[in-house]
Amino acid sequence: MRSMRPFAIAAALGVMLAFLGIAETKPIPRAADGKPNLAGVWQSGGVSLYGEPGLSTVKLPPPVNPPPKREPLPYQSWAEAKTKTFTAADDPSLACLLPGVPRITSMPMPFEIVQTPKEIVIAYESFHAFRIIPINDKLQHPNDLVPTWMGDSVARWDSDTLVVDVTGFNDKTWLGGIGSIHSENLHVVERFTLNSDDTITYTATVTDPKVFTKPWTTGALLRRPPNTRVEEYECVENNQDAAHIHK
Amino acid sequence: MKMPKLRTMLPAYAGLIIASAPVLAHHSFAAEYESKEITLTGVITKVEWTNPHIYFYIDVKDANGNVANWAVEGYPPNTLKRTGFTRDDLKVGDTVTVTAYRAKDSSSRVAGREIAFPNGGKKFAGPAAGSGPPTAAQ
Repeated sequence: MRSMRPFAIAAALGVMLAFLGIAETKPIPRAADGKPNLAGVWQSGGVSLYGEPGLSTVKLPPPVNPPPKREPLPYQSWAEAKTKTFTAADDPSLACLLPGVPRITSMPMPFEIVQTPKEIVIAYESFHAFRIIPINDKLQHPNDLVPTWMGDSVARWDSDTLVVDVTGFNDKTWLGGIGSIHSENLHVVERFTLNSDDTITYTATVTDPKVFTKPWTTGALLRRPPNTRVEEYECVENNQDAAHIHK
Repeated sequence: MKMPKLRTMLPAYAGLIIASAPVLAHHSFAAEYESKEITLTGVITKVEWTNPHIYFYIDVKDANGNVANWAVEGYPPNTLKRTGFTRDDLKVGDTVTVTAYRAKDSSSRVAGREIAFPNGGKKFAGPAAGSGPPTAAQ
């Protein structure tokens, strides 16, 4: 029965793979234009995704494409000294101010990606931040930018990875960590790669020659939080912490 | 009552490598609260189901019978809802026992950790101590 042979081989291979604990690679979902479909609700961390630390019964498989760990921030010596003059009480987000990029990705709250062939929109629960990101192969930013908290984002597809170029930042946000300052020359390049295990590997490469000695990279694994929609987070409503936090 | 072990918050962000560890949602915990756990039992007098964090207030009687009103801070409302802690769990007039961390300014304010309800159930209202963002260079 020659015609049965491929099936037999496939079945044998399947058994072998199962025995070895190797899952067959599932194709990633794609949008109508063939690009990876990033649409949906995502989250990088927090108890609503991973449960209480050390006590959680949430069991998630290890990611197929783990993101890089954050590199130490390579501050120039003057900037390093300046970072040490700050305490947690100086954190701009304590006053409910927009946390900038890439820090927004680390907030323990969901965000929704909306995708069309011409633009990507990211609506964040944290601080009601939003980013409307035109897809523009030349990564050309508008020429009338004034510095802002979240900067200006443009994107292009690099094969199956969405690359977002962000510039036009003010110098008022922290990058993550107490006193993690930067200048208005901050330039962030984010990469969103959809994986076969329905995760997104997120990386951000941060360049700021006024403050750092070299570019550095950080990352996060984005997962789909179950039964979650992006909801209201009116941070200034009852923000008592700012008045009580200690220097 | 069972005292939960103090654990670092960092594993909560197992999928998170960007090191900002925004603990009570968006800022440092250690800058505001002690890490030593205390236990308070009192009657709920008011509930603020608000952002960025919820607060509820309890009348706590000391050994001499004096009553003081304590403010208990917790996670953001959406986080609580997603972990199964709803606004209806906190009822004015109910007596609850709260494990918590006291404010460093010695005011009658605490960061709530675990709440024991009159029906015997327990839920986490806020994060464990020992958390906070790293310094910039870390």
